[in-house]
Amino acid sequence: MTRFQRWALALTVPAAVLAIGLYVFPIFQVLALSFLEPKPGFGNYVSLFGNAAIGRVVRTTIIVSVLTTAITVVLAYVVAFAIVQMPRGRRRVALFLVMVPFWISVLVRAFSWITILRRNGVLNTVLTEAGAISEPLDLVYNQFGVIVGMVHYMMPFAILLLVANLGDIDRRIIQAARSLGAQPATVFWRVWLPLSLPGVSIATLFTIIFSLGFLVTPAILGAGRVLMIAEYLSVQISSTLRWGVATALSTLMLVAVGLLVAGAMRHPAMRAAFGGGRA
Amino acid sequence: MSPARRLVQIGLPKLAAWLLLAFLFVPILVVIPVSLTDRDYLSLPQDGVSLAHYAALLDWRAGWLSSMATSLAIALASSVLATAVAAAYAIGAFVYVGRWPSLLRVVLLSPLIVPPIIYAVGMVKLWSRFGLLDSWIGVTIVHVMLAIPLAVLAIGASLSNLDPRMVQAARSLGARPPTIFLRVILPNLDSGIGAGAILAFITSWDEITVTLFITGRRIVTLPRRIWTSIADSVDPALAAIASALLLATLLALLIRLFVFERGGSLSRSNPKIAAKGTSS
Repeated sequence: MTRFQRWALALTVPAAVLAIGLYVFPIFQVLALSFLEPKPGFGNYVSLFGNAAIGRVVRTTIIVSVLTTAITVVLAYVVAFAIVQMPRGRRRVALFLVMVPFWISVLVRAFSWITILRRNGVLNTVLTEAGAISEPLDLVYNQFGVIVGMVHYMMPFAILLLVANLGDIDRRIIQAARSLGAQPATVFWRVWLPLSLPGVSIATLFTIIFSLGFLVTPAILGAGRVLMIAEYLSVQISSTLRWGVATALSTLMLVAVGLLVAGAMRHPAMRAAFGGGRA
Repeated sequence: MSPARRLVQIGLPKLAAWLLLAFLFVPILVVIPVSLTDRDYLSLPQDGVSLAHYAALLDWRAGWLSSMATSLAIALASSVLATAVAAAYAIGAFVYVGRWPSLLRVVLLSPLIVPPIIYAVGMVKLWSRFGLLDSWIGVTIVHVMLAIPLAVLAIGASLSNLDPRMVQAARSLGARPPTIFLRVILPNLDSGIGAGAILAFITSWDEITVTLFITGRRIVTLPRRIWTSIADSVDPALAAIASALLLATLLALLIRLFVFERGGSLSRSNPKIAAKGTSS
């Protein structure tokens, strides 16, 4: 190793020390505690699977996350597909409309939805005054409100991932399909969609991972009535102090995320989309 | 193709796309009229508009100003630290290509994928052992760790545009290693370092999930205060602070749109795309 390379290596040391000491170690400690607290063994996992309340929380988390992901990816595809075909000026407007919610604090967005969806919120007021409904609708503090808020949170993110992917598709392939006489529907289903599958997979992967561990939006828009894992963990840690159960549940979530990422990485197209050899 | 079919196959998807764009954008705007309400509960203005709720924000005793100051201080400190650590790593990994830096890269970027809630559980345990719960240094360190990935991506992107022959030329002319790092590589990274610092700042400024677990009464960042007041009450001052944050975001994006990015490119180089989950 040359002196120059030794210097370079030294530059990576602060990042390594911080990452190992203050990121990797605390997370490993979570894994370890799940087997050690309150006493060594698999007791936490046994009680995890035997506990009806936790079962309900896990089920809610999975249902809400899967629904959110399915809705988000389909709607984001519609938007991204339109954006890549727009002329430049219109595309800038559309991307601006995506970027604003993308950058706004998640709390501000959850609060906006509360304001709109509450019993005496903006939507119910407008609908009542228009005579469309006589009784206010229950639009929030239930699964519906949580999913609306989560889809709204995830969509800009999924759209940007899909736009990057769809924008990279070679337009000559589309032209070739058209010039060979394919109908627009055929071009979409047989050419666009297969070519965009890596983008769709990445958008799906990120949306489901973020949904599984999401705290803010489900907690605010669900108000305790749609209890997902992250909010359940916050209760375990801050009030009941059941570390064993909390760390075991965290470990399961980490394993689920790891399996999703590992599964995605098996496909060469996904590896390429993630930046290939670097990872 | 018949005009009717054409409308269904081309017109309808376009219409759907614009409606969905409206779904993304319009609901956020609702906080603006609500913040101007003349009532002291969350509602649309009824007999006229009022700025009373903005005035309430400026009252020091209400706590909004001190929370803004807290968030600003923590975000500045963690942005500087995260950018410095990320820049050192990125430059080192650029020069020393090998297994170790690329493995470290995966670890450094993992906060983008690992749910922040899991990190939160781990940090509560670690900080309670060191007595750093609800402390400035505890919060700042956590924000640094969460901000490093974006800074690494931003600085890495600008390093990939750097011509390695420039470094070779400097070495063959006999420059010492510190000179190469500081006088050859670093000056070429100003845009990446700037972008990394901004992204790191925003990450810290917006961070709520982990902060919620490791702070209590002493360190109340702005997101934490917003969180508590959403849970406690539905005070129109919340709409005022939300509107202020919204206007700041709109302004920043418009500046970026008109000053920095004249083309309508399909932005690929936006590291935050790979990142947003960290703030949820």
